[in-house]
Amino acid sequence: MEALVLDLTVTAAKETALLELSKKRESFPELAPYLWHSFGTMAALLQEIVSIYPMLQPPSLTAHASNRVCNALALLQCVASHPETRSLFLQAHIPLFLYPFLNTISKTRPFEYLRLTSLGVIGALVKVDDTEVINFLLSTEIIPLCLRTMETGSELSKTVATFIVQKILLDNVGLNYICATAERFFAVGAVLSSMVTGLAEQPSVRLLKHIIRCYLRLSDNPRAREALRQCLPDLLRNPQFTACLKDDITTRRWLAQLLVNVGHLQEAAALGTDVVGPTPPLQQA
Amino acid sequence: PSKSDAAAAAAAADGKPAPPAPGPMIDPNIIANLHNYITINPQLAIVGERLQLKRLVPMAVDRAIVEIISPVVDRSVTIACMTTQELVLKDHAMEPEGEALRKSAHLMVTGLAQSLALVTAKEPLRIAVANNLRALLTNQLDANMLEQVVAMLVADNLDLCCQVIEKAAGERAQREIDERLGGAYAARARAKAAGQQFVDGALMQGRFPGALPEALRPRPGQLTAQQQRVYEDFAHIPRTAAAAQQSAGQPRPPGSTGQPEGSEGGSIGPPGSRQQPGSGDAEQAAVAVAGGGGGLAPP
Repeated sequence: MEALVLDLTVTAAKETALLELSKKRESFPELAPYLWHSFGTMAALLQEIVSIYPMLQPPSLTAHASNRVCNALALLQCVASHPETRSLFLQAHIPLFLYPFLNTISKTRPFEYLRLTSLGVIGALVKVDDTEVINFLLSTEIIPLCLRTMETGSELSKTVATFIVQKILLDNVGLNYICATAERFFAVGAVLSSMVTGLAEQPSVRLLKHIIRCYLRLSDNPRAREALRQCLPDLLRNPQFTACLKDDITTRRWLAQLLVNVGHLQEAAALGTDVVGPTPPLQQA
Repeated sequence: PSKSDAAAAAAAADGKPAPPAPGPMIDPNIIANLHNYITINPQLAIVGERLQLKRLVPMAVDRAIVEIISPVVDRSVTIACMTTQELVLKDHAMEPEGEALRKSAHLMVTGLAQSLALVTAKEPLRIAVANNLRALLTNQLDANMLEQVVAMLVADNLDLCCQVIEKAAGERAQREIDERLGGAYAARARAKAAGQQFVDGALMQGRFPGALPEALRPRPGQLTAQQQRVYEDFAHIPRTAAAAQQSAGQPRPPGSTGQPEGSEGGSIGPPGSRQQPGSGDAEQAAVAVAGGGGGLAPP
């Protein structure tokens, strides 16, 4: 593996090394610190990222170039996931170099794949509950970028973007940030609501699950809870729409709790879970 | 405007703290001599005379650049400097020559700041140049003709605008990285004056880099030619799609790449992944995309 890491900084050997290392990345638990601490490897990976910027607009990213950069992103994801390198990765602000990818709108496969893999890096960061990560992300424009993907992405991209927003909301700092102004709350609320509408046409249980978790978490904030009494999509109270959750007790319980929190007790009871009262709202910081 | 635009505006309004940096310093000669660099297609010669394009196009280009340059250069330079500072200090922890550190830092910060500035500014510039041209030329042409003339002028002059902004970003990034690394340059000079071997102790304290295998472990002393080349590559980052295509290399034969080109159901998976995210649980998909290794923490 050392030889492959060294090859990342040798122009002629780089492409093969990217492919081989991204394939085998999970069998080397120390790969992340090797990538970070060896000479020039992170610099070489960043070169891979910025080298495809010119193909973003007008959209001209080929499958080949997309593959190659996604292999580099997979290695960055490895660095983002590892407890010994995560902080260093944030300290160097490397996630910001992926934001231009999330800003693209082309629906072609190379672009979908690029966005999905980039979201995967951010997803790896939020997967561990770490306020440092949330603070970092909130200091950047990740929320509007996630909202954009949630509006326009493929089902899988939407799911990962919603997962990222969910993890930001689950942190108190993130919840307070999003509920700090009406504008922010309604920006998130409007996108969640339009996704629910979209699910009526194209159902996806896994996406619905994350949307419900986001709403439930928003309802922990007193002002957001008030607002949700008015703007929670009616579909979430429609037994036909939520019938797809019949085998998913956790999500059904989240939904019932959400409905209780915003005052729809009958519909909550109809979900057949054992929720009795609203969860106490969080004190605002 | 879409909802995420509102969110973007909200984030921009109070999100990132603006760095306390001076405004972008553009080479005064480029802006002052814009008219020398402007391209006006010969097809427009006749109409161009009547419309005073030689006077109006530099005006539109100048206004567009002024509208766009400041936030783009600020943001690109700040990000490029933060990244460069962390990575060059790490890679040069045992490099005794301040000048070698400075050279690497300049190469990297310039490449990164220019790339970020270009990718951020290109579309806003295209729109701003077009809008300014329309504002200056409206009433002088019928709508259809106006759009044709504007499109032609934008296509011919967009790259000039981009170059101005890239140049400003690169120049300011170099000044700013020197400020940030002033202490690191001085520490190397002090060690040299005292006849000591320089090592950045703060970067050598953890388990790594000491725990790296021999082949990857940093060695005391100056960078090798191969190591210098990694940083020199920052001077050759492609800035056009064609150059980017070339730098990505030739496609390999089918089946040898990571992209699941022929995977069932057209689902998209992470590179090198054996397991495609299927119709299963959302968390599985997120985990698969987020790189596996442990489940999600229960909410």
